[in-house]
Amino acid sequence: MRDLPSKEANLFREILKCYELKQYKRGFKGADQILKKFPEHGETLAMKGLFYNHLDKKELAYEFVKKGIRHDMKSHICWHVFGLLYRSDKNYEEAAKCYAHALKYDKENIQILRDLSLLQMQMRNLEGYVDTRHILLELRPQNRQYWVAVAIGYQLLGKPELGVKVLTTYEETLKDLPSTPDYEHSELLLYHNTLLEEVGDFQVALDHLDTIEKQVCDRKAIKEKRAKYFLALGRLTEAEAAYRDLLALNPDNMAYFEGLGKSLGLGGDRQTDEDEAKILEMFKQLQKEYPRSNAAKRLPLRYATGEAFVKVSDEYIRSMLRKGVPSLFVNIKTLYTDSAKQAAVEKLALGYLVALDKSKGFDHSGAVVEPPTALLWTLYFLAQHFDFKRETEQALGYINRAIEHTPTLVELYMAKGRILKHAGDHVAAMGALNEARELDLQDRFINTKCTKYMLRADNMAEAEKTAVLFTRADIPNPLNDLVDMQTQWFSLEAGESNLRQGQIGRALKRFHQIDKHFNDYTEDQFDFHTYCLRKMTLRAYVSMVRLEDQLRSHPYYVRAAQDAVQCYVRLFDKPDGSESEEMEGMTEAEKKKFRSKQRKAELKAQQEAEEKKKKAAATAAETAKKAGGNAAAAAAAAVKGDEDPEGTKYTKCEDPLGEALKFLQPLQQLADTRIETHLMAFEIYIRKNKLLLALKALLKSIKIDANHATLHEQLVRFALAIQKSSSAKTLKPSVKAVIDKHWSELYGIHGQDLSAFNAGFIEKTKDQGSVAHVISAAMSVYLIDPSKNLTKAEELLFSIEDEKKFGQKRTLENVILVQKTLKGFKSARQQEWKAKAGVWFPNAVALK
Amino acid sequence: MNIREATLDDMIPMQNCNLHNLPENYQMKYYFYHSLTWPQLSYVAEDEKGRIIGYVLAKLEEDPAAEPHGHITSLSVMRTYRRLGVAEKLMTQSQNAMRDVFNCKFVSLHVRKSNRAALQLYRDTLKFTVQDIEKKYYADGEDAYACRKTLQ
Repeated sequence: MRDLPSKEANLFREILKCYELKQYKRGFKGADQILKKFPEHGETLAMKGLFYNHLDKKELAYEFVKKGIRHDMKSHICWHVFGLLYRSDKNYEEAAKCYAHALKYDKENIQILRDLSLLQMQMRNLEGYVDTRHILLELRPQNRQYWVAVAIGYQLLGKPELGVKVLTTYEETLKDLPSTPDYEHSELLLYHNTLLEEVGDFQVALDHLDTIEKQVCDRKAIKEKRAKYFLALGRLTEAEAAYRDLLALNPDNMAYFEGLGKSLGLGGDRQTDEDEAKILEMFKQLQKEYPRSNAAKRLPLRYATGEAFVKVSDEYIRSMLRKGVPSLFVNIKTLYTDSAKQAAVEKLALGYLVALDKSKGFDHSGAVVEPPTALLWTLYFLAQHFDFKRETEQALGYINRAIEHTPTLVELYMAKGRILKHAGDHVAAMGALNEARELDLQDRFINTKCTKYMLRADNMAEAEKTAVLFTRADIPNPLNDLVDMQTQWFSLEAGESNLRQGQIGRALKRFHQIDKHFNDYTEDQFDFHTYCLRKMTLRAYVSMVRLEDQLRSHPYYVRAAQDAVQCYVRLFDKPDGSESEEMEGMTEAEKKKFRSKQRKAELKAQQEAEEKKKKAAATAAETAKKAGGNAAAAAAAAVKGDEDPEGTKYTKCEDPLGEALKFLQPLQQLADTRIETHLMAFEIYIRKNKLLLALKALLKSIKIDANHATLHEQLVRFALAIQKSSSAKTLKPSVKAVIDKHWSELYGIHGQDLSAFNAGFIEKTKDQGSVAHVISAAMSVYLIDPSKNLTKAEELLFSIEDEKKFGQKRTLENVILVQKTLKGFKSARQQEWKAKAGVWFPNAVALK
Repeated sequence: MNIREATLDDMIPMQNCNLHNLPENYQMKYYFYHSLTWPQLSYVAEDEKGRIIGYVLAKLEEDPAAEPHGHITSLSVMRTYRRLGVAEKLMTQSQNAMRDVFNCKFVSLHVRKSNRAALQLYRDTLKFTVQDIEKKYYADGEDAYACRKTLQ
């Protein structure tokens, strides 16, 4: 409140208070009052701007704040306000600059220092964070939060030992410790111990536990840590006792069982017969001790082999079938990585069926008569088992028999749908799921599954209609509820359906939606930077920060990013984006017909949407009226809705490859070990003609999996691109020099002879029986010389007919890929392939 | 089946599980809020592959006027994982933490009046008692049973 007479100065203080109390209108009036007398008072102008910001007048906000600064360049208040304005727009970098500026004029302003540190944490400028927090600590050493914040900063910088020092110093200053455990203090102590654990001296960490134990509320955490440290220190007897103690608290915790196994020297990678016997004995005891523990019953199946496996799995599967546990198969199939176990389970289950049919028991002993549902669940199990093996006819036989037995069980129709989906009949699969849904209209789970299947069948209209059955009914467009609630699975599945149908704009809209959800998750952490320091939930806080750092490695983001890159690459290749996959290979007349059919369908959908909107507007108006609000405004807001349903904003973008890169960058950072990341990078860079970056992507891929099928094809395309720009004389010598240097890493002994390189690849992979590798080889042969090599490429693809070599390796997905590859070649043998593949996969609609 | 305390890494799959199963949904920040305020109270169930197939999201009711007690914000188990007692196991762990870490004397929750299956679970299996009916508790105007259970 520089240069104001005392009356106005008081008023100014008041408007600052108004801001803190979020009384923006009152503050605004106060500011105006001062400005009447002192129209050029910089700090008041800036505050007025800040109030504008909270009253949703963005432009005026910036105008006034800037005006304020112009009138008072050296006021920390003006700069702080400017920073707050930027922060509210999430422009953290500019905000941090403003705060730094403000601190020039008021070095020890606690509020500004705190605000700055929050931004530094949010942007992970950890060194800056530690510096700022040090200043704060020196200014306010009596405040616990400031000590803790410095420790956190050090920990995140990878210097837990410095964090320990800070906390130790702080704890020494404490005089009166709470006599009974206090939650916040307890969390602080446990955090201290976690830092010791990160330093890695487990003896110190263990001893520390003894000193803090009495003051800790979270007793389980103490027990878990102690058990872990005993194990790490090799004090196995004590570790064993500690894990047994934990199992008494929670006999369904896998980590406790694992810890117990390790402390007994069991469950390692190499298991002797003796170990196996011991471990099975251990579980036998534990089952007696914890009869309700599912884990104690299930874990032996993991460790048992041979005859012992048959015995324990027989017991386990029988009891689950008797109880009718629907998840039994999903649970058991994780054992199928061991083919001996798979065969043993199959033999058992088939045996149960024969016995149940004949003598109503799981065996012929006649000792136990099982409930009639045992037969039902056995059939259900067998259907899933044979579906796993992709033996569709068998699987359908069992599931149909089960449905005949009990026509009202939702799970059976779900299994049937899954079988049909795997067999390639998405429409029939959707039908089965819809039957399931209709059996239990109250259950959102089956509704969700059904919606997913509708999307897989590319039936968007039905899917949307079904999805909204469980969303909030009181908003104009219920589909928006799915977006508001961050329903990632829906955006993903719907986007992929759009992509399959060539609706690139709509697809991109959904994938950008997912990107936005992740942005929001990142944004969500902001408030917790202060909140957790207050609540002392520091262990949880640090795991949040670490989670946020890895956020975009989440499978949802990875999938969305891959899909989005695919969309943008397609937009680059076919800028009009109007050709869907189904239209490829159509004649012009057919295309015209197809397009008009599509347009009609769209028109109908639009009309329906209009109807809906009108209704929604009426409802919204009514609700608003009841609530005493503005009916017209509510109706208008409802009608406004989506202004770009087609996503033309995305399809008309100037630089699709640049947009693709934005999706890719987080993956290059977080998913660097996945080959897909670099395969995608290649697709983008080769199109941008960024040859060195394309080279870098290839080198990364080679490091991860030199034998990858798609990588081979990319190598061939890269060499062709280099040849082309060499002969066109557009290859810069400096670029060429780098590429030459790496050439042998890419092409080995083959130098420039691509045909020999490809022949070498075929030779090297011929015994793998991998369809993907054959496709890659065929693609490469074709690309090397499309005019001459078509026949050879076709022959390669048709080699997949070989029953002995490929019979087990063919899947519906990869034979369809062959089909698409032939289509890409404009091969005359497409029908021939389709006919053959149709015999292997008789239910697949795509092959009819 | 693995039953363990929820961590921050579980929040995205928990939200996903909730959106699959229940009509009451929350934005991510609300999950964060639970886990960053009472990290001991929420639990998850994982299948053999480590996928989250059930969860209980719980909090402390810190109304200064009443004694401190636990509250179940949301509980759900994927339909395909029923009949293994997962919900009960999740609830047991969460309730023990309420009692041991926060000294809670009782735990409360709300059930939709129309949701008979849930009421049966809470009342018959988990031994809750219906205390009251809260009129129009849910956004769509439905009433809720307010249930409660003493923690020993």
